[in-house]
Order: sequence, then structure tokens, then C-alpha cells
Amino acid sequence: MENIDKKLREEAKRLLEEKKVGVLVGYETGTLPLTATPCFITNPEDAEKLVWNAFCTQNLAKFVHDLISQHRESQKRVKPEDRKKKIVGVVARGCTTRSIVLHLQERQYGRDEVVIIGVPCTGYVDGKRLSVLAGGDDIREGSLEGDQLLVKTTAGEKRIPLQDALAGNCLTCRFNNPVLSDLMIGAQAPPMKPEQEYTEIEAFENLPTAERWAYFTKEMNKCIRCYACRQACPSCYCNTCFVEQSQPQWVGLGEDATDTQVFQLMRLFHMVGRCVDCGSCVSVCPMGVDLRKFLKKIDKDVFELFENRAGSSLEDTPPLSIFKEHDKEDFIFNP
Amino acid sequence: MEKRLIKKEALTGIIGKIAADTTVCAPVKVEDNVLFKVLEKGDEPLVTFANSKNAPKNFFFPRSEVMLRYTRTTKGMEFSGGEKEVGEAVLFGVRPCDTRSFVLLDMLFDQEKYKDPYYIDKRQKTTIVSLACAHPPYAACFCTSVDGHPVSSAGADVLLVDLGDQYLAEFVTAKGEKLLKYFGDAKADTAADEKKEAIAAQAEQEIKSHIPAKAIKPILDVNFEHPFWNTIYQKCLACGTCTFLCPTCHCFDINDEMKDGDGRRLRNWDSCMFPMFTKETSGHNPRTSQKERWRQRAMHKFKYYVDNFNAIACVGCGRCVKYCPVNTDIRKIVADISKL
Repeated sequence: MENIDKKLREEAKRLLEEKKVGVLVGYETGTLPLTATPCFITNPEDAEKLVWNAFCTQNLAKFVHDLISQHRESQKRVKPEDRKKKIVGVVARGCTTRSIVLHLQERQYGRDEVVIIGVPCTGYVDGKRLSVLAGGDDIREGSLEGDQLLVKTTAGEKRIPLQDALAGNCLTCRFNNPVLSDLMIGAQAPPMKPEQEYTEIEAFENLPTAERWAYFTKEMNKCIRCYACRQACPSCYCNTCFVEQSQPQWVGLGEDATDTQVFQLMRLFHMVGRCVDCGSCVSVCPMGVDLRKFLKKIDKDVFELFENRAGSSLEDTPPLSIFKEHDKEDFIFNP
Repeated sequence: MEKRLIKKEALTGIIGKIAADTTVCAPVKVEDNVLFKVLEKGDEPLVTFANSKNAPKNFFFPRSEVMLRYTRTTKGMEFSGGEKEVGEAVLFGVRPCDTRSFVLLDMLFDQEKYKDPYYIDKRQKTTIVSLACAHPPYAACFCTSVDGHPVSSAGADVLLVDLGDQYLAEFVTAKGEKLLKYFGDAKADTAADEKKEAIAAQAEQEIKSHIPAKAIKPILDVNFEHPFWNTIYQKCLACGTCTFLCPTCHCFDINDEMKDGDGRRLRNWDSCMFPMFTKETSGHNPRTSQKERWRQRAMHKFKYYVDNFNAIACVGCGRCVKYCPVNTDIRKIVADISKL
């Protein structure tokens, strides 16, 4: 990994020095053990902070969208002939590039406004899973040695196989190498286990309706409406979320279970053909709501109905933006 | 002050006995989380745990609360009270940082000028049994930097200290003494007091995070406009994790819900991290971006609350540090402000 970091820093520094990008979004080491956190670099010297490792969790495409739309908003006050483009560089793994593809398909920004530094990915550590594996005790120190996580907690030292701590979406990831990039750093990552992508979902689908509903309500009851899922999601970029609209008010803001379910259901359905399974919503959720179960089900349906995997190719048209003669419609007439 | 010694294995039984007589709210393991919740049949209260994920403030200041109900009739509006009458309750196993949060929240909700009946009613009817941190649970704990202590009884009615082989129970207030009957009659001797002092000193040593929280107030006083504020907000997701898990955050929003002539007025948690925070009816928002909202968070905790109540609105529990999805670390922000 050290070689990747070195190369990444060199390339980032070069892009900034040559003014190919105005800002570069990447990851730096976090203040807690075994964490990394998004960082924004404008000064070439600061490129030294960049890291790329198994603790880089967030899908950074969210920030690309934020930065470009904020910039465009600020340019509204500038005379048209003086307006400048802001070019954002981003360190992107497979799922991040899928989100960028999705943004491009949805005409959110131009291909020339983003410079993609592609990085290979072998999965990231799910902090909540790691905490459980560490016995629930506070992690005081930690390091990654080969394929083992060396974790020092209040209860003592523990060795945890990295594989066991990886996020669920990473284990069965189909696109762990960038689908689109301007430059690549490091060698292609070996494949994960995409053939098992829907194993969990098939088991879930086979449960009786009452059990699936019970699971849904149980998970939704954990939600505290902090909106971390929505905020972390690169596909959730509505200017004003329907939850925050007040005329009319679509959904109550209190603790009623139905209101929480409506928020989550609307978000889930807004992800049809748009979820890249980056796992950001799951990783940020403070309460551990299993959002992925439902998102992955939607992903499976979209693939079966329209043979589409969100953001996997720039040539595709998002499935809900196009009509094809042979589109299945029995789910409308005969659900 | 009355003091008792109880056997370690007796504690769970004592909680059970109290729960048989009154509502008890205690930390319980729910799937992978430790949560403060009202004990129901089958719940096992935890006596060894780090700290709960949600803060016990929820019990006095819930995420959503009905303030009043109304019905439109031919004779005009008819109003009725909010939540049904709350009864006596015991909050069990509150960590000293969180008990201190009640002291801080009292300053706001129960002050001379303004009395918040919803908060005060529950607060007065609730007895708080605190469980001292013989070993502060998190590396992110920094209570000693904000006037707290891992073995402090501030805000508690009863303080339990793990002496190793038994618990020392100190009945700090008259309200706490009402629970005496559950704790047997083994009075504590001076040896127990000495042991407690040693544990307290050791626990203080074990706090590894120290931040200059008290030094930054004069710096904040003169730096409302400073380029520093441009550097902390960019990665913030604008979610409510930090404020919703915080034991001292208390911003709320009032909102009416009405259907077919029946309505209710709700008080819901708000968060300075939300883009809707302080947005006005006109559509104007004086805090236009996450930069202004982050400044508000830092200022509210370390300046405005000090201005108003002479106390920092942070108890150093470390929740926001541990659970922020993008590792925005308040300890680092405070340290950076101290160097401005």
C-alpha cells in the first residue's frame, strides 16, 4: 500500500501544481485508530497527507457533486463572460466511479469538470463490524499487518482477519476497479465474489411476507432520523429533500413509526437504478440500520427487469429515463 | 450522607426490585448497540458496559414530544394537554459525564426566567442512579477538560462506585435516599471511602484526552470572522449524528400536525448541522452554509453557553468523536481554536 500512497501523492501534487484541478478530494488518516477521513487539498504541499487503504470508507463522489454545485451557485453572481469552471480531482474506487458515471448520466456536471484518480479496491473495513469483532470494547490502538488487523482494546490485544471486518457490500463487489478514470494508480485489484452478490437477498426474498415486513419494521424502528444515510449518499442530491418540504408537508417529523418508514421507503424507491452499493449509508448510520438489505433487493429487481447495473457504464441510459419496446411491464399489470 | 456497600452480584437484583415498583430506564444491549431504554419484561440491564450510544437526556427531552392537542369544533378550537401524565421513574446506570449533562440542561430548561414544564416535570419525578467510571471507557473521553470527573456525583441522586469486590453506594440527595430500602443495610466504612478516593485518582489518570476547552472562550469572543471557520466544515455531511447522540445538545423545533380538524403540536429535536436549521418562513437563512452552522455548534458549546450560564455545554463523553461518520473531531477543533 505504501507504494500506492507515494504514487497517489505524486500524482495529486502534480495535478495541483499544473492547475489541472482546483481542489482534490481524497482521504487522510483519521484521529481515531484504524480510520481515514475525507480531506480537501488545494495546496500541492498538502498532497503528502493523502492515503489510500482499507479504512477509506466514504464514497467521495458526494463531495464532487457538492463542490461543483456550490461553485455553480456562487458563479450565478458573476457576469457570464467571467464565469470560471471549477475542476475537482477525486480519489475514486470502483463504487465512487460508478457514482460519478451516474452523475454524468444525470447531467449533474460535465466530464471536463472532474479528474478521476482511479484506485484499486479490495474492500474497506466496516467500523461497526470491527467494533463487534473487537468485543465491543474501545479500540485504543490498531494496525494492519498483512491480512490481519492488530487491535488493542481496553480488554487486551486481538488479531482479527481483515476479511472478517470488511463491509458486506465489499465482499461481493462486482466493480472493485474503477469503471472510469483519467489516471490509474496501482495494479488492478483481484476480483471479489460477485457471484454471491444476491445470495443474502434470495434468502430474504424466500421469507414469508409477514417475516419480511417484521424485519423491515424492526430495522426502521432503530432509525433516529439523523439523515446520515441521505447525507452520505452521492445519489441523494435533491436540493430540498421531500422530508424537509413544508408546503405541503409530505411526512411528519415526529417519532411515529409510519413517518420514519415513509422517509426510508421514499429514499429507497428514489434509489431504483441509482444505487451503486457503495455502502456509505450503512457505514455512516449511527444506529446500525440494515439499509442494504432493501437497497440490494431493488438493485436485483432492476437488473432482472432492465439488465442494468447503476453507473457501470457511461454508454448506458439510466433505466427509468428510457423506454424500450421489450421492457417488462407485468409488474405493473400483474404484480 | 448515607452510604452503603453492596455485593457486586446483588446489583442486578436491586435494579429488578426497583423496576418491580417503578419505571426504570437503564442501559440494555439491543443487537450491537447499548441503548438507554425503559426496562420491559425480559430486558437485562447492563452493569458492565462502556457507555450507551444514545444519551440519557432523551428521557427528559425526547426526540419528539406532544406539547398539546387540539380539535376544531363548531364552537371553535378545543385544546387538551400533551403527553399523558408521567410517573416517578429511576434512571439507572448513568455515567458521570451524562449526569453532568442534566446539570447543564437544568440551567437552560429550569432557569429563573424560563421554565420548561415538559422537561421539569420528568426531571423532578426521576431519580438518577449514576455508575462511576472506575476505568473511563473510551480513549475519546475528555470529561476532566470540561469540569467533569469520571467518579463525580454532580447531577446524580445516587452514585455507585465499583470498588473491585463490591459497590459503594453514596446517597447524594434526599431523592436518592428514598431508594435506600433497596440497598440493604451494610453501611460503608472509612476504608471504603479511602478505596473510592484511590479509584477516583486512578480513573482521572486514565483519561488520556485533554483539550484546552476552557481557554478558548476569549479566543471565540473575538474571532466570529476568521478564516479558520473555512477549514472545518467541508467534509461535514450535515447529518445529525453528533447532535442527536450528544447529551447536552438541546435545540428543538416546534411543528403542527393536523388531520381532519384534529391536530397536535410537536416539539422535535433540531440540529444545527441540518441545512434547515434557523431557516426562516421567508426562505431566508441567516446561516447560509455548513460553515456558519459549524461555527454555531462550536460557539454555542464553548462561548454562548459560557456567556449565558458560565458553563461549557459539553461533558466530554466522546460520543460525537466516536460516532461522527467522517471523523470530525471536536477535540481537534478545540485544540486548533486555542492556537488561533
